[in-house]
Amino acid sequence: MEPPIIRMEGVSKRFPPDNQAFSDVNLEIEKGEFVFLTGPSGSGKSTLLRLMFCAQRPSSGNIWIEGVDLSTLTNSQVPYLRRKIGVIFQDFKLLPNHTVFDNVVLSLEVIGLKREQADRRVKQVLAGVGLGEKTRRYPPQLSGGEQQRVAIARAVVNRPPIILADEPTGNLDRERTDEVMVLMEELNARGATIIFATHNDRLYSNTHRRVIKLSKGKLEF
Amino acid sequence: MGISIAFRRAFSDLRQHFATQIMTTMVVTLSILILAFFALLYFNLQHLVERFGSELGLVVFMDENTPEERIPELYQKLAGLAGVEKARYISSEEAFARLQTYLHDEKEVLEGVSPRLLPPSFEIQINRAVFQLDRIRELADRLIKWPEVSKVQYGQEWIDRFEVFSKLLRDVVAVSGILLLCTSAFVVANTIKLTVYARQEELKIMRLVGATNTFIQGPFLIQAVIQGLIGSCLAIAVVFVCFEYMKDLVAVSELLRGVEVFFLPWPFVSSVIGSSVVLCFSGTALAMRRFLRL
Ligand SMILES: Nc1ncnc2c1ncn2[C@@H]1O[C@H](COP(=O)(O)OP(=O)(O)OP(=O)(O)O)[C@@H](O)[C@H]1O
Ligand SMILES: [Mg+2]
Repeated sequence: MEPPIIRMEGVSKRFPPDNQAFSDVNLEIEKGEFVFLTGPSGSGKSTLLRLMFCAQRPSSGNIWIEGVDLSTLTNSQVPYLRRKIGVIFQDFKLLPNHTVFDNVVLSLEVIGLKREQADRRVKQVLAGVGLGEKTRRYPPQLSGGEQQRVAIARAVVNRPPIILADEPTGNLDRERTDEVMVLMEELNARGATIIFATHNDRLYSNTHRRVIKLSKGKLEF
Repeated sequence: MGISIAFRRAFSDLRQHFATQIMTTMVVTLSILILAFFALLYFNLQHLVERFGSELGLVVFMDENTPEERIPELYQKLAGLAGVEKARYISSEEAFARLQTYLHDEKEVLEGVSPRLLPPSFEIQINRAVFQLDRIRELADRLIKWPEVSKVQYGQEWIDRFEVFSKLLRDVVAVSGILLLCTSAFVVANTIKLTVYARQEELKIMRLVGATNTFIQGPFLIQAVIQGLIGSCLAIAVVFVCFEYMKDLVAVSELLRGVEVFFLPWPFVSSVIGSSVVLCFSGTALAMRRFLRL
């Protein structure tokens, strides 16, 4: 069997002076899995995801992504880890004064892809999320659901093996939420490993997917 | 990989944040403008000193007992010295005749006085090309050691005084130059810091999608180089236009007739432009450092 794509061992995160987000988290996620991460507000879901893409470092414990121990990464190596992980947020985090196209192409510019190739791929991905006609718009000219689809396009355009979604549907109505879920299912079907943090139990109550829950500073299965 | 991407990003940034960019460039321009005006003043005074200094020349008085037949030999020796353009022998008789002309109405006082009273001398003109204030003094010091020479005269006091002044001016130019360059580096760094601060969100997002520090910094550094280059060139251009205008004024002025004015020497100009570019570059690199942490 292949080693897990994400592995955590005894991971704790403490915010000085005395805020313990969680402690002793042990977790293994297999390649191609779709995992829901839930838990009450403030239980540390976002923090757990941030540790995975090295936006924060754990207070103790170890994290391996594709077999690489994150504690061995220097700051200058972190960008290369990030290219393997697409991240999606509740508040989209788009650049408001750049077009939809420019927002998405950024992911390919940072890896130095040729312009024509990048153009083609961005258009293809934007068409895939149903925004083929709106590539020249600016994010404020789009609805929330459309903006979230731009953010998804940006996260996946460089074909990362891992996608971390932090309440990506938190700001969306039921229909937009379902559209996003369909997109995530598609990405998962194409082989991406997905961790999906959410409060919304409707999304996982009828699923066969694994659901993990953070509560009272511990991870429950 | 990304030189062309960095340039493309730099230029689209330039367009998007035009006003801030103009402001930064103006700060560079103004500081260098002030520096360049000081420098222009200094270089022209320096020219003036050298010019008048060289016109003064030296007078080398011979010992009264120097035999007449040694004169041609001494003349040869003097004319052969480095930096000596021309030497002219003034015999005792000629000096006496000059004195008489000078005194004309009162030349009776010289009656009965032997022309031999006045020592023979050489008037030496300095070669302007090799002239330097230090060299004149050096030459004088060397000549006074000749056994036949009794005294060497040159515009010591005048030159010394002017030299002190010109050294002072040079220090003023140097110190104000350094201060101005530091100020502009500081202001530029702060302007950049503001620009970067305003775009923190953008930098965060870039890091999120896996941008390296080089990728993030590249466009800013390119902009800094452009600002340093344009800012300093603009300042030099303004000084040049003013200089051309003043040159015409000097040319028609009665008071300053015969005075030549010079523009800043090109090595100075290019080093000013060079330091401006280097300072803008390092100011930006420094300002960005703290925004490049994870
Ligand atoms: N940078 C920080 N500094 C200090 N404390 C922090 C920081 N980030 C998070 N925390 C704390 O860590 C705990 C977990 O926060 P986190 O944002 O991970 O929760 P969450 O599960 O994502 O909540 P939500 O569902 O509301 O998004 C909270 O108590 C929060 O106050
Ligand atoms: Mg959260």
